[in-house]
Amino acid sequence: MLIDTTQLALERSISGATQRQEALAANIANASTPGYKRVDVDFHGALAAALGSSDAKTKLATTSFATQADAGVGNTQADGNSIDVENESAKMAANALEQQAAVSVAKTRNAILRSAMGVN
Amino acid sequence: MSMFGGMEISASALTAQRLRMNVTAENLANAETTKTADGTPYRRKEVTLESVPGKGGFGAQLSKAMGGGSGVAPGGVQARAITEDSTDGKLVYDPSHPDANAQGYVRMPNVDTVTEMVDLIDAQRAYEANVTAMSASKQMFAKTLEILR
Repeated sequence: MLIDTTQLALERSISGATQRQEALAANIANASTPGYKRVDVDFHGALAAALGSSDAKTKLATTSFATQADAGVGNTQADGNSIDVENESAKMAANALEQQAAVSVAKTRNAILRSAMGVN
Repeated sequence: MSMFGGMEISASALTAQRLRMNVTAENLANAETTKTADGTPYRRKEVTLESVPGKGGFGAQLSKAMGGGSGVAPGGVQARAITEDSTDGKLVYDPSHPDANAQGYVRMPNVDTVTEMVDLIDAQRAYEANVTAMSASKQMFAKTLEILR
């Protein structure tokens, strides 16, 4: 098969990181909104569960990620807001790097496939 | 949210923070305004923000159709209201002032320049944080496009 489990997992992790980026951007955008609670996407957990199952490939292709309110939040300010901008920025930087790493690997794997097919 | 969801969310926050800066600037500009159109001293204004529930565009619908994908769609932020601070400003004794009362006291606006400066810095830092978030989103989209090359 041209598209193997690894390539599929890479593709799904790029999509998960993109979705997580939206959630983190929303958190930073609402840093001064009274009563706002932070949201996050646990795409690592969903991907790990899919990869660990017996039929990883089908599971990967159909898995989707949910943006959920984060229950375990540390500090809540007097106005009910639970956003720590520094923390969100750090998470966003890590998430961006992760997405870029996945893209680089996916790109290289595509290049290998292309050279094996004799296309340059 | 569309493909550029992250950037749209950050853009809505930039608009909201700019509005906060504009209102703070208005407060500072009117720190000495003792008479407005209705004859009363100027009252400081405050912006209250609220989060916008995400509409969930194609991506959200697709993941819903594929099973799962529940939860909230992240949206942006918008101004809910610009409210006036109803506390009274301090009375200053200045009999020569045109707005002085019979006893020679003038009711000043309830603007405290120190509070306004702190609000201004807060809005400015929040604006910068959102600019950073937006450029991170932009870099991610640019990187994704590299797969095609």
